[in-house]
Amino acid sequence: MKGSFGEFGGQYVPETLYPALVELENAMERAFGDTAFWTEFDSLMADYVGRPSPLSLARRLSAHYGLEVWLKREDLNHTGSHKINNAIGQILLARRMGKTRIIAETGAGQHGVATATVCALFGMLCAVYMGSQDMQRQRLNVERMRLLGTEVIPVTTGSATLKDATSEAIRDWVTNVDTTYYLIGSAIGPHPYPTMVRRFQSIIGAEARAQIMAKKGALPQAVIACVGGGSNAIGIFAGFMDDPVELIGVEAYGNGVHSGASINFGIPGVLHGARLHLLQDGDGQVLPTHSVAAGLDYPGVGPEHSYLAVSGRARYGLVDDQQALAAFALLNRLEGIAPALESAHAISYLETYARDHQGACVIVNVSGRGDKDLHTVLEEGL
Amino acid sequence: MITEAIKCSRRAIIPYVTAGLPDMETTGRIIQSLAEAGAAAIEIGIPFSDPMADGPVLQQASKQAIDSGFKMEALFEHLPGWAAQCRVPLIIMSYINPLMRGGLAATLRRLESSGVSGIIVPDEPTDAGELFQLTQDVGLDLIRLVAPTTPTERQREIVSQCRGFVYAVAVKGVTGARTLMPPELEDNVRALKSLTDLPVCVGFGVAGAAQVDAIIRFADGVIVGSYLMERLMQAEDPVAAAREVMKNLGGELSEDI
Repeated sequence: MKGSFGEFGGQYVPETLYPALVELENAMERAFGDTAFWTEFDSLMADYVGRPSPLSLARRLSAHYGLEVWLKREDLNHTGSHKINNAIGQILLARRMGKTRIIAETGAGQHGVATATVCALFGMLCAVYMGSQDMQRQRLNVERMRLLGTEVIPVTTGSATLKDATSEAIRDWVTNVDTTYYLIGSAIGPHPYPTMVRRFQSIIGAEARAQIMAKKGALPQAVIACVGGGSNAIGIFAGFMDDPVELIGVEAYGNGVHSGASINFGIPGVLHGARLHLLQDGDGQVLPTHSVAAGLDYPGVGPEHSYLAVSGRARYGLVDDQQALAAFALLNRLEGIAPALESAHAISYLETYARDHQGACVIVNVSGRGDKDLHTVLEEGL
Repeated sequence: MITEAIKCSRRAIIPYVTAGLPDMETTGRIIQSLAEAGAAAIEIGIPFSDPMADGPVLQQASKQAIDSGFKMEALFEHLPGWAAQCRVPLIIMSYINPLMRGGLAATLRRLESSGVSGIIVPDEPTDAGELFQLTQDVGLDLIRLVAPTTPTERQREIVSQCRGFVYAVAVKGVTGARTLMPPELEDNVRALKSLTDLPVCVGFGVAGAAQVDAIIRFADGVIVGSYLMERLMQAEDPVAAAREVMKNLGGELSEDI
């Protein structure tokens, strides 16, 4: 099937969207083959986002775990996460396609803020769908989006989190398909989104590989990143796909009752336009999820991750809420870095990894910064 | 069977009901009462947790049905009885995931052997050749949707891999009653009819007898979903309400013939 990763991916959408996906795929292919497109992308990455993001040796964290830990600092990007890379890429594409209105979904609010930011930069109308539960736990990001001139639309259906915000954004897109560009925030959705988002986020992996070769002169043994939909992970993995480097995604184990760990506990199924590992019951109903990190609170996963898991090229570990909160505190104290709770899942996995890999060199993707999570962290009593 | 039922009906109205709302027994009685009140065929919706092509009414219907304990096994238990008693073709409307969960081919075979005549999948793969083949193999009609945005070339491809009837989506958007139908609907349906011998039925947004009346002048049938479900969900006696709505939709029309 078109746009598939092995048995995963594809296009399962209401027929109304079919021509929009064809239009998007054609525009994407023309843009990707156009050096002028990449010149503009690269210059915005440098001068607006502040790339390349540093690759920092975490000396005290390394000593703590008995590893050599390098941190890819996506938290230092403008708007505070890796989401801006994809938002810039897609807004350039939307402009080329003549679209004037942008919609997006957001969980933690990082993608919403990134989208609101590029819409302000390019003078586009913007509406962001956000679960009402997420709006409460990420209030700071809601206010930021509003300041940027974006309309934040609360989603109260279903579990009122990222899954439902995504469904609602798709419903808006079906209704306003002529004028509206759907700027999806993760490596999910129907083809060509997973491929497109991976391409824009692959700047993380390309930089990280060049940086580790320049600083250390050798490849790391492993690359570790958190996986909700999985865009920061697929972005950093892309740089090491053909290298003898272990690729490890970290899923949210949640609170022991519900998780966001679709690859570990899901069964292949279709959600939001693609076939992927899905947390579902015996009847094919999507199950409730939970993670302290709103950005990992999602019952599916990017289809390429499903493929990488099944093919064995990557493996996917688990970190629960309490472990992530502890890692959040640890990185603050040892390195002076407050990671997003999503990224704290990747940091926390070092503890597991260190057990069998003492002395190994690893890169961890710090996909975002944790200011947005202070409220949650304080509530959790840290 | 579906094609004949629509062609034989002078005014083919196809009502949609969500299965398991308020419970499976009542769904059976609603289906019976819709058939008696003149439905040409009946669409039975399998509730899904994430119905991305549906507006607020059918989202709510899905949620309530799941919350009241809808199970696929119960559906398979009830379908043969419903099919036997109501004598009009039953069509299953389901998102693809619940159909895939028990294995797509096995689920389709079970639906057919339970007396179902056709299926509609609002999020079928854009390349639906394999799904079409599977439905052909088990003897189900795959009713496919053509949207207002579907290019003519693709319309040709869709109608060639479609059985029962062609489902013309009236509006850009999700399901749910609209006060106005788009002015280009008639031209779109006429153009679509020129591409196929199958009946062309219009759905998405149809609300009330006046709209059915207007659409049936150029289309072979009309699907009424949210408009009906909204009334069933508000009614104290949904079985009586189903009969009432169906009569009103058809009743006004019978004078018009």
